[in-house]
Amino acid sequence: MASLFVIQGRDQGVRFELEPDRAVVSLGREAGNSIQLHDTEVSRRHAEIRRLGETFTVVDLASSNGTFVNNELVKERELASGDQIQIGRSYMLFTGPGVVAPHDASDNIDIVAQRGTADRSRIIHTVSQEQGSQIFFSGPEAGQSPWLARARSNLQVMYRTALAVSHTLDIDQLLIRIMQLIFEWVEADRGCIMLVEQESRQLTPKVRRNRTGVSAEEKITISQTILDYVMEHREGVLTSDAREDDRWNAAASIVQLGVREAICVPMQGRYDIVGVIYIDTSTPAQRAIVQPSRKFTEEHLKLMIAIGHQAALAVEDTNYYSAMVQSERLAAVGQTIATLSHHIKNILQGIRGGSYLIEMGLGDQVKLLAATEGEQPEPINVPKLAKAAETIRKGWDIVEKNQNKISALAMDMLTYSKEREPDLCPASLNEVTGDVIELMRARAGELQVELVWLPDPLLPQLTFDPEGLHRAILNIVTNALDACREAEQGSVQVESKYCPDDALVRLTVTDNGPGIEAADRDRIFNVFVSSKGSRGTGLGLPVSQKIVKEHGGRIHLESQVGVGSRFVIELPAVVPEAVKHTGVMPRMPT
Amino acid sequence: MISPRSVLIVDGSADSRDVLRTALERRGLEIFEAARADEGLILARQHKPSLIVLDLDIDARSAENLPLEFEQTARGEQTPLVLLGNIRRPSDDVCKFVAKPYHYAPLIRKIEQLVAQAGATAKD
Repeated sequence: MASLFVIQGRDQGVRFELEPDRAVVSLGREAGNSIQLHDTEVSRRHAEIRRLGETFTVVDLASSNGTFVNNELVKERELASGDQIQIGRSYMLFTGPGVVAPHDASDNIDIVAQRGTADRSRIIHTVSQEQGSQIFFSGPEAGQSPWLARARSNLQVMYRTALAVSHTLDIDQLLIRIMQLIFEWVEADRGCIMLVEQESRQLTPKVRRNRTGVSAEEKITISQTILDYVMEHREGVLTSDAREDDRWNAAASIVQLGVREAICVPMQGRYDIVGVIYIDTSTPAQRAIVQPSRKFTEEHLKLMIAIGHQAALAVEDTNYYSAMVQSERLAAVGQTIATLSHHIKNILQGIRGGSYLIEMGLGDQVKLLAATEGEQPEPINVPKLAKAAETIRKGWDIVEKNQNKISALAMDMLTYSKEREPDLCPASLNEVTGDVIELMRARAGELQVELVWLPDPLLPQLTFDPEGLHRAILNIVTNALDACREAEQGSVQVESKYCPDDALVRLTVTDNGPGIEAADRDRIFNVFVSSKGSRGTGLGLPVSQKIVKEHGGRIHLESQVGVGSRFVIELPAVVPEAVKHTGVMPRMPT
Repeated sequence: MISPRSVLIVDGSADSRDVLRTALERRGLEIFEAARADEGLILARQHKPSLIVLDLDIDARSAENLPLEFEQTARGEQTPLVLLGNIRRPSDDVCKFVAKPYHYAPLIRKIEQLVAQAGATAKD
């Protein structure tokens, strides 16, 4: 059933139901109205709500003060659920028919895609995040009701506090903002925020602020008694004159310090008090007689407690967050060292193996040559000498391979750790990729994987960092080959494709390896995540991605378990100026 | 005819296999090698080598308890098993642990020694 709920005015809290069998409901001050409002600003017969089917319309009956819907003066207005009707000083909330409490949200909520008969709503007003804080200023009644004005102002202070604390992760900055807000809102002379040091549990001043005109050199002296009370009782205190307040009887300190009015509130967080906020103001004796009213009220205290709580939550969050970041950083460093040392150990193992073979071969050689000298020289044993040389060669190959591995690791680490600008110059992506393919042929042969290279003949010279992209492509092709190492008929296909319409060049690396599980697809671009066991450094893909991103491109991955994976490098095709002017740029067939 | 003494090398690294093969073949040992643990296990059962060298860094995906299966096979046959890796466990009469990174000269001396011992016990 449709209804009007009085949210403000003499009849506040009363709900008037708009009975379905009544076509017209009248509103006014007189007793004869369907809805009688006890409001002197309301005309005797002020307005009517007319019903037509499910539609309700409010019609002003030439009232002296007018009828407002959502703060807008209206003669006649169709009502929608949630509309606010203002008549005189009374505010009413209109709720349309058919709005019932839903039993199961999913059954009762339809998101209507198109504006149809079911959806009569339209956007009448939008409020941005920034404007949100301003809503508390507006409204014609702000001047009319001091209570409402104060409530709004308080709400605004809280809103702005909430905003202030939610927009920073820097504690010092946060405290400065809080202090600033407090000073905008209350006439304090001096203020400060003290935080509890985590180690010593002592209060340490963090921020201090003075009202303009108050000497900044003047020290804020805060009574230990007040601080102790606040910390111990977890209560905010408002002190006007120390001598009147029996809580401070024991301590003469306040009197001596000359504090007239002060508010000190705990910053109560979820778990503990993280600090206190203190403000004070001193009125000279003469003026205090002339103007005996207090500057700080209980309302100020209440609001300060709320601000203190908000600030404390933010401080706790920030502390928690930095502790988390710190521990994550340490964990990451630990993981980095573990992964690197493991990898370096493997390389070392390889170098030791190679050196061992070289030593063995050299030893054989020395023995064979020694036999040709001396008292009974033998002829040179050529086959054995050749065999020794072969052993040395084999050992050297292993040493060299591991030397390359350590240099690649160092390069990857460097690329990954350094903020660098790609060294752009005109170059051929087909050539760079071709080099990578040639480099990987041996490895492909070793793994018995077919390596196919399909360059796009229409790919022009482009501007990019050839060294960087070489590295990026190399890492991806290496991965593809490794993925195929256990495949029956392993095959890796590398293809370049120029897409001038999208100003893109696409380099696709497809393998028929085992594929990558969906859960791993996002992870593989994370540093030090390797699915290759001891063979992977976990640096390859992150490095490739970094280089490609530096070029303004991206790498994406399609993979199906049991079928294979495809890595697509998309780079913006930047045609060098020189090429543009000479008109060498090829045309794509249409 | 006495079959030559043989060593099975199960190691994911082709380099390591190569070095061990080169060094051990010179000493008249027959070499079987496998890059994967499961293949190694098949070779071990098929050829019953005099000694098995197993690198524990072998592809973790091929199965976690394969080293354990190797151990059981080795114990069943009383075949010495040399495990290369970072396991801190005291060696016993069958399982010998060698921490990585290792030096090849002492490892090869150890393998020779164990093969000789195994040959001696087999003759008894």
